[in-house]
Amino acid sequence: MQRLTLSAALLAGTSLGGTAFADGHLMIVDEPLELSIQMNHARYPRYDETWPVEKIASELTGISLRDTTVGANTRTSENDGKTEALNLMLATGEIPDIVGSSRLKDFVNQYGPEGAFLPLDDLIAEHAPNLAAFYADRPEIANAISAADGNMYYVPYLPDGKYGRGYFIRYDWLENLGLEVPETLEEVEAVLRAFKNDDPNGNGVADEVPYFARQWPELIRLVTLWDGRSTGSDTYHDFYINAEGNVDHPYAGEGYRDGIAGLAHWYDEGLIDAEIFTRGSSSREYLLSEDIGGMTHDWFASTAGYNESLADTVEGFRFEAMLPPASPSGVRMEEHRRIPIKPDGWAIGVTNEHPVETIKYFDFWFTEEGRRLANFGVEGEQYTMVDGKPQFTEEFLTNGEPVNNQLYQVGSQLQARGYFQDYEYEKQWSNQYALEGIDLYETGDYLIPDFLGVSFTADEQRVYDRSWPSIRDYMLERQQGWILGNGDVMADWEGYQQTLQDMGLQDVLEVMNVAYERQYN
Amino acid sequence: MSDAATPKPAVTHFVNKRPVSQRIVDHLKREWQIYLMLAPTVIWLLLFLYKPMYGLQIAFKDYSIFRGVAASPWIGFDHFETLFASEQFLRALKNTIYISMMSLIIGFPVPILLALMFNEVLHQTFKKTAQTIVYLPHFISSVIIAGIVITAFSPSAGIVNTILSWFDIDPIYFLTKPEWFRPIFIGTTIWQEAGFQSIVFIAAISGVSPTLYESAVVDGASRWQMMWKITVPSIIIMLIIRIGNMLEVSFEMIILLYQPATYETADVVNTFIYRQGLQSGQYDFAAAAGLFNAVIAFVLVMTANSISKRYSRTSLW
Amino acid sequence: MANMNLYSRNDRIFVIVNMVLIGIFTISTLYPFIYIASLSFSSGFEARAGNVILTPIETTLEAYKYILSERMFWVSYGNTFIYTIGGTIMSLLFLIPGAYALSRPQIYGRRFWNLLVAFTMWFNAGLIPFFLNMRDLGLLDSYFGIIIGFAVNGFNLILLRNFFEGVPSSFEEAARMDGANDFQVLVKVYMPLAKPAIATVALFCIVSRWNGFFWAMVLLQDEDKIPLQVFLRHTIVTLSDDQQFTATLVNASYSVETVSAAIIVCSIVPVLIIYPFIQKYFEKGILLGGVKE
Repeated sequence: MQRLTLSAALLAGTSLGGTAFADGHLMIVDEPLELSIQMNHARYPRYDETWPVEKIASELTGISLRDTTVGANTRTSENDGKTEALNLMLATGEIPDIVGSSRLKDFVNQYGPEGAFLPLDDLIAEHAPNLAAFYADRPEIANAISAADGNMYYVPYLPDGKYGRGYFIRYDWLENLGLEVPETLEEVEAVLRAFKNDDPNGNGVADEVPYFARQWPELIRLVTLWDGRSTGSDTYHDFYINAEGNVDHPYAGEGYRDGIAGLAHWYDEGLIDAEIFTRGSSSREYLLSEDIGGMTHDWFASTAGYNESLADTVEGFRFEAMLPPASPSGVRMEEHRRIPIKPDGWAIGVTNEHPVETIKYFDFWFTEEGRRLANFGVEGEQYTMVDGKPQFTEEFLTNGEPVNNQLYQVGSQLQARGYFQDYEYEKQWSNQYALEGIDLYETGDYLIPDFLGVSFTADEQRVYDRSWPSIRDYMLERQQGWILGNGDVMADWEGYQQTLQDMGLQDVLEVMNVAYERQYN
Repeated sequence: MSDAATPKPAVTHFVNKRPVSQRIVDHLKREWQIYLMLAPTVIWLLLFLYKPMYGLQIAFKDYSIFRGVAASPWIGFDHFETLFASEQFLRALKNTIYISMMSLIIGFPVPILLALMFNEVLHQTFKKTAQTIVYLPHFISSVIIAGIVITAFSPSAGIVNTILSWFDIDPIYFLTKPEWFRPIFIGTTIWQEAGFQSIVFIAAISGVSPTLYESAVVDGASRWQMMWKITVPSIIIMLIIRIGNMLEVSFEMIILLYQPATYETADVVNTFIYRQGLQSGQYDFAAAAGLFNAVIAFVLVMTANSISKRYSRTSLW
Repeated sequence: MANMNLYSRNDRIFVIVNMVLIGIFTISTLYPFIYIASLSFSSGFEARAGNVILTPIETTLEAYKYILSERMFWVSYGNTFIYTIGGTIMSLLFLIPGAYALSRPQIYGRRFWNLLVAFTMWFNAGLIPFFLNMRDLGLLDSYFGIIIGFAVNGFNLILLRNFFEGVPSSFEEAARMDGANDFQVLVKVYMPLAKPAIATVALFCIVSRWNGFFWAMVLLQDEDKIPLQVFLRHTIVTLSDDQQFTATLVNASYSVETVSAAIIVCSIVPVLIIYPFIQKYFEKGILLGGVKE
């Protein structure tokens, strides 16, 4: 591979890590074994045999991988459903020994049962003690990744850490106006109104935008303040598990109705960014740097970062986390959390002649050494051991390059690999405001369990495909309309419910529940 | 259509006593060079476009990439039923036709007008500079054009609302208003493409070298006759193709500009399919939709073509 | 004609109005380019915050420094030239004789051949079959595959055929008398006459090659063969940080916005340079319906 970066070359040349625990206890094969791999991810479109992390892994296990990636230049994105590289690879009819990719789950769960990938359950039970222990510990994960035929076809990337997004507010504005951090829905409303009317930035113009969001679904998120729900997972507009333990859709509930009615009022009153639907990803930079944005709901790590980057630009700038305000029924809910399991990871191709060695190799990444390698890179290079724990070196953390990008370059934190992330890795480069925010959220029990998705049989899939996309469109269309003042949610609610039924929501929920029952109980 | 090798219909018009085969041999002996010139293109079409067209059948199959086209099971019109089952599809179809018609009626003359206007400019430097500039937006990606449009129509800082405020008109959140979507979208695409398309017409107007015209004038053919013979057919051909592309509204731009609140007027067939397919990423469903588009397009083209053939003797085939 | 003065005054007003209208339209179409250029010279933060409207803010060359120091920028730029020049020549080699043949009234099955071409404008095989076909032909991951695989385009073929059809047969008669065959007639009579038309089709080929990225993305395995547009996409992916961590790049003097703007500027400059050369051929064409003469 010609894409070897300078830093990777230097690191490879001075690799020490291998010797640290090269006593052979992780060796899988007697004779060196080479397996072919397809690895595609937007940020590392193919497997790079020169990654220092991979070199150490092959020294330790005796297994090395050879890149055979097809469609690398299409770069499977993390966000949209396109998996062109995987499709092209499968179309060629030559499936490599290992297939690693983002957005792998639906792909293997469709083609695994058709015979393109090996089922992993037995292999894991017999040959992968670390993986088996992990699944025994967290059975919901094993359930969540299973295909409709009950088998697991891939080893997922498992993010660590609980908190993703949180509420952020301008503490300095609150101070300027002599207000307390809002604790309830009413107080939030009062604070936003004060932001709007009382000129907290002190420039004499009512230019403040009380609530804003980079992505407009973070506005819908606020229905949780009215005991509604906006989604059940880290994907927007997703299904959720209701109080009775059934799969349901949040946009059909009464809390949602009340929330939308409330948000429509707020929007009308100017408490919400008038351009929230079109301002897009630049809104946070713009509104914060112009000193006019008041409150948002966004990622801890990136949002807290503005306290540093805008310290010189905006005087007294303090944009810090606040606890989720209590709903009328007294619930404080942080609806978003890091999902414990991603659709990314790797699988074993059906023509692989060494399935046992391969599953052992997968298992290696769940050993202590493997996991450290996958999370922190190479010992002595990116990190050193301090009190028995990996600690990134000062030089590594402060050289100005984003830490995650640097790790990709040495072959660490590759989400097209099945591994268990260690939150410690992120903690070490998170800024103090983000950590303080997370500590604040740690003081209570605000998170709710995620809906981890279901795998459909072909028939169920057909029912779902036929009705769901249209229903979803209709829901979003009405949602936005109501907030923008086009119709009144309270008055329209019955008709809305009726239309959802006519469009087949009940059928969709039925197949969801059948699949859910099969998968999790 | 299928009788290319033995083109009987063409033959019957001639009174000729020699056997058909003999006449074909004679014809080929005389005209072999034309066929030799045609051969690379035909072979290319067969090899690169027609050979993989077996793939169209997945529109009627439950296509699995792993099994391949041949081994995937037939499911008849299932995908088409899914397509037509949705009221939103019908709405999208209506929107598509409406947007296309409006783009055609407003958008088709604009580049022609622009080309004619350029023709009237005598200042050569001005003309050349302007012509080079007007086609620039064609090279700038939709993402950026859409970004500019969103900014221009923004209620707080956009130039459009700023101008409206001079007349004491309250700011309008244009991009969430269904009634505004089509004018904005159609206007944007015309503006973006008019310069580039005018090149086609400038070329059509000046499509043939001056020597041709000069000789034609000598031959007694008037310039209008020449224009009738060369320029008008080109424009008609262009129009027929545009009619054929009726269902192909620039969907990338719509995706960037529309909102759920404007689906009502903005959703077109391609965006609808994009959202449907997004859920499952199915090639078979997309193929069904594509086939539907193609059949409609072909019917439209055939109609337009035969009308054109009757009245102007210009035709695609 | 009786009132020459009035006529020419109207004429002059018309000319001025015409120029003003064209001027306004031209300026409006120049704006996106100005915007992109300003973006490329602005600081990353200002660009991301959307503060750049007309002129650069916090002017910096960082974005250009970034791309010009990327090896892949130069490699992909070179590739784009290869695909554009090679592809255009290849297309013309197919299109000119093909269009000429299709324009001949004496060809057997003329309707059929034309239909064969038109059909491909609306019916296509789809991604996977096309990909597999290219693979079977051994044309994956090669310059030649990209160049030949998209050589013929129905629209261009029909456009050119139409121009050829418009040429009166009297033109070739003299050449025929001299015993010229079809190849000679095409090269000596038709091609010189149809220079503007050929230039138009060449321009279309150049533009579509220059902007094309999708199939290059799908068919090329080796990163060293990708064109500039694919590199642009890769850069956007590499530089746009995940949602979660965006702020880490907030202080960088360049951002994904400024870097992609710089790449777009670099990709438009050759187009601006090349166009006048092609334009020359249009200008040689006669001015129809002109006020003068």
